[in-house]
Amino acid sequence: MRADVVVVGAGPAGLASATRLAEAGRQVLLLARGNGFTHWGAGSVDVLGRVGGEPVERPLEAIDRLPEGHPYHLVGQAAVRDGLDWFTRFTAEAGLGHRGDPERNRGQVTAFGTLRPTCLVPEPAAGELQGRVAVVNFAGFRDFSPALCAQRLRRSGIDATPATAPLPAWDHDRYFTGVELARAIDDAGFRRRLAPGLARAVAGAEVAVVPAVLGVERGHEPWADLQSLVGTPLVEAATAPPSIPGLRLFAAYRARLERLGVRWQFGFPAVGVERDGDRVTAVRSEGASRVLATRCQELVLATGGVAGNGIEANRDGTLTERVAGLPVDGFPDRLGFLGDRFLGDQPMAAAGVRVDADLRPVDASGEPLVANVRCVGGLLAGHDPTVEGSREGVALATAARVAALLAATPVR
Amino acid sequence: MTGGVRPPLETDVVVVGGGVTGVAVLRDLALRGVHAILVERFDLGTGTSGRWHGLLHSGARYAVRDQESARECIEENTTLRRIAPHTIEDIGGLFVLLPGDDEAYAAQFVEGCKASGIPTEELSAAAAHRREPLLAPDVKLAFSVPDGGIDSWSLLRSMAADAEARGCRVLVRHPIVGVERAGDRITAVRVHDAVAGQDRLIGCQWVVNAAGAWAGEVGRLAGVPITMIAGKGVMVVMASRYVRGVVNACRKPADGDIIVPQHEVAILGTTSEQVPSPDDISTPLADVDRMIDMCAQMVPAIASGRVLRAFAGSRPLYKPEAPAGGDGPAAAGDTREVSRTFTVLDHASRDGLDNMFSIVGGKLTTCRQMAEAVVDRLAERMGVTEPCRTATEVLPGADHGHHEVAAPLATVERDQAYGELICECELVTRGQVREAVASGLTELEDLRRRLRLGYGPCQAAFCAWRAAGMLAEGSGKPQGGAPVDREAQPNQPDGDGARAPDPVAGLERFLEERWRGQRSTIWGDQARQALLNHAIYRGIFDLQGDGVPDEAAAVNEPPTEPGAGDPTRRVGRELVGDTEGRASSRADGA
Repeated sequence: MRADVVVVGAGPAGLASATRLAEAGRQVLLLARGNGFTHWGAGSVDVLGRVGGEPVERPLEAIDRLPEGHPYHLVGQAAVRDGLDWFTRFTAEAGLGHRGDPERNRGQVTAFGTLRPTCLVPEPAAGELQGRVAVVNFAGFRDFSPALCAQRLRRSGIDATPATAPLPAWDHDRYFTGVELARAIDDAGFRRRLAPGLARAVAGAEVAVVPAVLGVERGHEPWADLQSLVGTPLVEAATAPPSIPGLRLFAAYRARLERLGVRWQFGFPAVGVERDGDRVTAVRSEGASRVLATRCQELVLATGGVAGNGIEANRDGTLTERVAGLPVDGFPDRLGFLGDRFLGDQPMAAAGVRVDADLRPVDASGEPLVANVRCVGGLLAGHDPTVEGSREGVALATAARVAALLAATPVR
Repeated sequence: MTGGVRPPLETDVVVVGGGVTGVAVLRDLALRGVHAILVERFDLGTGTSGRWHGLLHSGARYAVRDQESARECIEENTTLRRIAPHTIEDIGGLFVLLPGDDEAYAAQFVEGCKASGIPTEELSAAAAHRREPLLAPDVKLAFSVPDGGIDSWSLLRSMAADAEARGCRVLVRHPIVGVERAGDRITAVRVHDAVAGQDRLIGCQWVVNAAGAWAGEVGRLAGVPITMIAGKGVMVVMASRYVRGVVNACRKPADGDIIVPQHEVAILGTTSEQVPSPDDISTPLADVDRMIDMCAQMVPAIASGRVLRAFAGSRPLYKPEAPAGGDGPAAAGDTREVSRTFTVLDHASRDGLDNMFSIVGGKLTTCRQMAEAVVDRLAERMGVTEPCRTATEVLPGADHGHHEVAAPLATVERDQAYGELICECELVTRGQVREAVASGLTELEDLRRRLRLGYGPCQAAFCAWRAAGMLAEGSGKPQGGAPVDREAQPNQPDGDGARAPDPVAGLERFLEERWRGQRSTIWGDQARQALLNHAIYRGIFDLQGDGVPDEAAAVNEPPTEPGAGDPTRRVGRELVGDTEGRASSRADGA
């Protein structure tokens, strides 16, 4: 097998990198073990939500307060803006409009009634929580508790009341997941039957918070339609995985990549590389029955950190980069991976591959180790995507950088 | 919340300690028609009874060195199978001989089992592998013994329910903080209602100290010296069972020589180390690694398996006062040399305190026998002639037969409750959580012990917040039962939600407590799991760990009241102070 550029990983960084490289005229193969953080996130674009645990109001300005070596410092503010601009255009064209301003964070309502600081949110999650707010679950959906959500919202001074809307008869009346409910809501007939009960539950509130299950395969159209049927703005609250807004985004990427002619291999974990001097010549991946070698000119690693499975955390406290064996700073023992508190910081989340300004992995003295390997997203050292709230921002900014770098490289 | 004294209670016997021993004592008293109240500082089974490997001993482990214990074990093993089969997995056990193990020990083992009345059967290596395919290929031979698995929480609940049905009472979250004495008699026990934040007197004729590893502290409150040795054991939980039955190493008991499959997991045990306090439940990395490496000698797949967590418990070992001659047990810090048998202390003859007994030592397998022994002595002094019936009266639930590991799945399939699962790992359904919440449980920790919520490979990634939501739905509805559904009157305010316990704070406490048990076992897949969980709770839900409200914190603090400086109250305060990161939320209507 042969490819011009191989992108490994299909999380926020890999999807954006593959799309942008293909848009820039490169012939791309996307190789992935499985789904990534689109499915595990809150369904929004976090750029920089917190520094030192404190919520950030102005994410681009707050980048200055990040420690040296942070990926944002490597790629610069222009790449961050470029990444966000590109994403805003891409999602709007895909029917997944986002709202938000890179200059100013906003609060995204969650199933816990917290308002998590983020930057861009999909339109169904973007409504203002003003006046009387009904927090409505769909009867029988186990992954959302309106009482829990409303309780926290009230503590933030929001006049929230919990309620439950009945579901019309459907073929899952015994049990269902969020994805199944979202698929049902994709159907216009189902929405017409759902709307009256939902309207009764909303009962004249100015706005209703609902779990993020308003359709999965038709973009934001089911949300917009249901909202007009109910006659009240509906705001989707972020729920636990799988993230249905993330599934919508993933589907949009997939459609775009197919249109761009990107080859796509899922369920093929990359397990090694072949090298010639300071260049990688091929990526080895595990197929169903054998290991395949795919020759490539450029390799983009978007495999994630420990959470994304790009880095293995070993029992002795060391860390191993799983595809190219790139160096990752480990810990004296495995207790170093972790913080004292679960809800505190976890040092291993910030572990990763150190790179230069061209996103090439470097050795201890800062010299590039491989000429044609670039690292993007969660694999990069020096940032904790969860604690900072920077996952999608870093992914998009580094994808912007890699697209700029490799589009400018002549194809050999 | 201020301290105060609630109206006193009256009973014949106060039993101190809500582990298996104390609850077995309570049930024994109830069956003899004696009224008793059990007081427990946290929930039932939060001490050693909930921090062990779950092995229903055949006694074979003690057959070579401690045949008195061995005989007690096999006798009680048989009795428990009769009275509490529903708490037992009838899985049997093997003692396996590995290369390098002493064959002379194996011969002694067979002899010891015979002498102790423990049936054994020798299996060839091939027969052993047929029974346990994951055993090391180089196993030389094995002996089968009637070991089993036992769920101590289920046993505790059954015994407590039986005692309560017969008129006795269980007061959890009521640490003992002192005793009232008149001369040589205790007239009342003072407890602290940690939920209401008030002290309470329980007038009584007799006291049974069944506080296990903490018996010395209760003795101190009563003014009698009891020297307990805290024998810490570290255990490791694997994400799957690996073995069909219990697997033991056929050698002198040592670190890492037992594998007990339990529910969906396997527990590797144990270390045995004397520590200054039974509250030392730390799990050093070296101990965890040793458990894994030693047990992997018997079952090699464990070496590369997924490790869920590690925990430690404290054996309630009793050190007799100044034994004639000997220089006392456990001189070298290895507490395995201390007998696992038990002792009844009559503090009248021993210390001149007329109406208190302590029951010390022993092990879970012998808890019923321990209760019988102490209650026999107590009944004699009380003039109660009713004989002990605990060995013959079966426990509520016994008609279900032995617990089968596949039973929860069969139930879920029968009820078509797949989507009703709150905890996928342990197959806990919405109905079970709803019922537990309706019965008054307000803490996720209590749901965990009741339902095994959060025990599985994902370590509460999904179940904890779902259950917290159900607690939120249940709050403001002390009678529980009906789920919140405001469809009919959607603008009804959310009960008295403002006064209800904050389920988010409870969730954060639960997560932190779970975290403590995970830290020493996080690498590989479990490292990814930990970060994914972190991404859910901290990333998506934006929990920052700052949600513990004042009133929940209050039950973790000593009550501010006159006498708080009294040294006899110091123990009580430590008992209230939460050694496990737990706290009681204020109950509804309290």
